[in-house]
Amino acid sequence: MGTVVSKQGVLGKKHIRMLEKIRESLEKLNEKMEIIIELQKHGGREIQPLPETPLDVMTLLSMPDHLRKTAMTVCRLGRATAEEVAQQTHRARAVESAYLNQLVIMGYLKKERKGRKAYFYVEKENQG
Amino acid sequence: MGKVIAVHSYKGGTGKTILSINLAAALVKHGKKVCLMDLDFRAPSLSTLLKVEKADYWLNDYLNGICGIDKVLIDLTERIRDGGKLFVGLANPTTEAIRDISAKDRKWEMRALGRLLSLRNTLLNDKGFDYLVFDTSPGLQYSSINAIVSADLVIVASTLDKSDVEGTKRMLKELYDLFEKKTRIVTNKVLYGENIKSVKDVRSQMEELYGVPILGVIPCFCDVSRAKGTLIFVEDKPDHPFTKIMDEIATELEKMKV
Repeated sequence: MGTVVSKQGVLGKKHIRMLEKIRESLEKLNEKMEIIIELQKHGGREIQPLPETPLDVMTLLSMPDHLRKTAMTVCRLGRATAEEVAQQTHRARAVESAYLNQLVIMGYLKKERKGRKAYFYVEKENQG
Repeated sequence: MGKVIAVHSYKGGTGKTILSINLAAALVKHGKKVCLMDLDFRAPSLSTLLKVEKADYWLNDYLNGICGIDKVLIDLTERIRDGGKLFVGLANPTTEAIRDISAKDRKWEMRALGRLLSLRNTLLNDKGFDYLVFDTSPGLQYSSINAIVSADLVIVASTLDKSDVEGTKRMLKELYDLFEKKTRIVTNKVLYGENIKSVKDVRSQMEELYGVPILGVIPCFCDVSRAKGTLIFVEDKPDHPFTKIMDEIATELEKMKV
């Protein structure tokens, strides 16, 4: 009886890991779709990341309002997920995710995945 | 938590530095722990006005990543009797340092912004400062915009000079608003005449013009000009009307939520 329970437990864990992988893949897919939608909305056609560009105040000043808000929040927080940025800007997580990914494409932010979370930050070498 | 205040203006000569020093002093008189910082790297003046001839480290060094902020700060608490604490961070006034900082590139300016932003943690959260007061360069310069982005509140010193008023109006719309900064105006060096007869007149006219609240109206005091910046009025001339205005502004700042 004991062996049956532990076998079920192992199967359960495998199942959960698989579901988590599916969820991760769906989130990645979702992010990519958000980028495409966002770029189309703002007239962008190319999805090629631009070379790394410093996110200085003059750049912030010349940005469209919706992106400036997101970029400034990342500057203030140092390193943040879309969820954390959304809490500060009071906009939807999906919207922030799209803006953050757009800033990555523009070369202003870097993105790093840790497990299921994606962190956005200004390049450390640039931050000093 | 404390507040970060940037004192800025469109033009030079509006009285930013005298305002910054006396505002910091007035807050200290109210028992606050204040750090006054000279972020006017192109024309540093706090070292001269506060008579600090030598500093081991300057704010330039902190922004260059050479040292921590604790090495830069100088304790000037004894300069203000009966109050909280006053520390200052100075900009290096040598020509070489000014030349050096004027030649920095965008990457450096971005790092400098990161370092200014981190002062909130190191000084307000960890060291228990109540206020950081940034004295800045006039106009749209990297160092002053970095200070504005790092601040909770921007105090804009403006005179009634037409070009100053027009420039200030533009900055409200095209600079502070874009960064969503809480902004207050201090109208300085006011000379009363036919159209402007009282503080009330200045307040109503300027508030209508700028669309933001007026934090203070300071008449043109010959005593202030005559002192050539060598006096901290709030400390050295406690009964002077200028001191009274500074005290009112400090009280207003304490009430303000940012």
